[in-house]
Amino acid sequence: MTIQRTYEEINIKIRSGKAVIVTAEEIIPIVKEKGIEKATEEIDVVTTGTFGPMCSSGAIINFGHSDPPIRMQKVWLNDVEAYAGLAAVDVYLGATQISESQGMEYGGAHVIEDLISGKKIKLKAISQGTDCYPRREIESYITKESINQAVLFNPRNGYQNYNVAVNTSGRKIYTYMGILLPDLGNASYSTSGQLSPLLNDPEFTTIGIGTRIFLGGAQGYIVWEGTQFYPQVIKDESGKSIHKGGTLAVIGDLKEMSTDYIRAATFKGYGVTLVVGIGIPIPILNSKIMKNAAVKDEDIWTEIIDYSFPHLIKPSLGRVNYKQLREGNITIRGKNVPTSPLSSYAKAREIAQRLKEEILRGKFLLQEPIQKFPKENKFKSLLEIR
Amino acid sequence: MLNKKVIFTFSPQNVEKPITYQLIKDYGLWVNILQAKFEPSLGGKLVLELRGEDEQIKEGLNFVRQIGVRIELLEQEVIWDEKKCIDCGACVSICPTGVLSLDKETFKLKFDYEKCIVCGNCVEACPLQAIKVTF
Repeated sequence: MTIQRTYEEINIKIRSGKAVIVTAEEIIPIVKEKGIEKATEEIDVVTTGTFGPMCSSGAIINFGHSDPPIRMQKVWLNDVEAYAGLAAVDVYLGATQISESQGMEYGGAHVIEDLISGKKIKLKAISQGTDCYPRREIESYITKESINQAVLFNPRNGYQNYNVAVNTSGRKIYTYMGILLPDLGNASYSTSGQLSPLLNDPEFTTIGIGTRIFLGGAQGYIVWEGTQFYPQVIKDESGKSIHKGGTLAVIGDLKEMSTDYIRAATFKGYGVTLVVGIGIPIPILNSKIMKNAAVKDEDIWTEIIDYSFPHLIKPSLGRVNYKQLREGNITIRGKNVPTSPLSSYAKAREIAQRLKEEILRGKFLLQEPIQKFPKENKFKSLLEIR
Repeated sequence: MLNKKVIFTFSPQNVEKPITYQLIKDYGLWVNILQAKFEPSLGGKLVLELRGEDEQIKEGLNFVRQIGVRIELLEQEVIWDEKKCIDCGACVSICPTGVLSLDKETFKLKFDYEKCIVCGNCVEACPLQAIKVTF
């Protein structure tokens, strides 16, 4: 008999402490030993995790009003400009915005990390002054306790899969995929593979709008498909599927987050970014979902892309799977090339484990999506006016 | 036997002196060149590992000093701040001597100080700024 479960049945088991939960890594040997059907019968939830640089991140902040009040038109937090084209004391602080005094050494992501860790942040704002908001400038200090809201809202996180980056040119290049040494001197990649949320539910059967997730150490939600969402599967000549472009827009209370799971980073010569920790529970509603959640590194393929080519469409140098990448060396054009992950597998594992424990303690219930993601989407480019 | 890592900084005036040869031949030192960068019109930098008796190293370094080459001893060369590190691995593929690796079981970063030649590649590759070189 094939097993079918509902979210409600799983939540009842979670509340009564009877749910069986394993991580996306732990499920692999279980399925190998017992088979998909038996594993589906026994396991209620599989937890996933990822901890990598995600540039499209930022925070919505409301500072509270001063007396006399100001309608802030330009705002700086520790010298990093936040977008103030919203109501009087609301801003959006983007993770990649860099400091006007320190450049790439400090940016929006660092302000976010400092806010989470409870540090004081210097606020400066200016305005033209109006009858209802007469003040024209203000300087102050804020902390996460002093402000009304600090909400992390990231328009594109949790990339389903990503390219492997290499450099065939004769010069070292500085990219968002890290430093790429000349003449195929190294390769970098950035997903947690078999632990990665969207690779464990590649068809978005259980992940959608409204899904409750682990975000930066707190409970957050998926609010929309991520920007540049591209759910179509690419198949190569040999029939290998490459899931490429699933992304997530996520939200959560920054005040409850921890710097163990949200960190600022600077890629030399490229800029500032936020390293975000995300974990998503996958309810095992049926054996098809279980089969997907048991995916292994050797079955997940990605493309090797030459980043020395300074155009949108870059040449591909072939395909490789995550097992090969994680072994530390791959072969490209007959050359042995050392690999570097940019996303921390150790932390991804920790997040999946932590999420598992929170569910086991009954502190984290599963939320069925209130709306599914689109099945297909166009990936549009920006054309220049000539 | 002592083992010391040193940085010699040459000026355009002394850049052509064959000091490595002399350290070996006249002072009996075991010399391993870890890094060398020379621009005859500007000077240069040489990072060496020297092995020998205490007295031999002292005399050898005196000789280098007299030529006018600036000497810095590398006491603790690369500092890895484990608390800041997130074990991503961005540094492992740019290390030329295999100092940095991810453990096959835990996937945490391992740092084998013995093999380090202080090239500084990992310092610029670390997105968390968790590695520093101190002279």
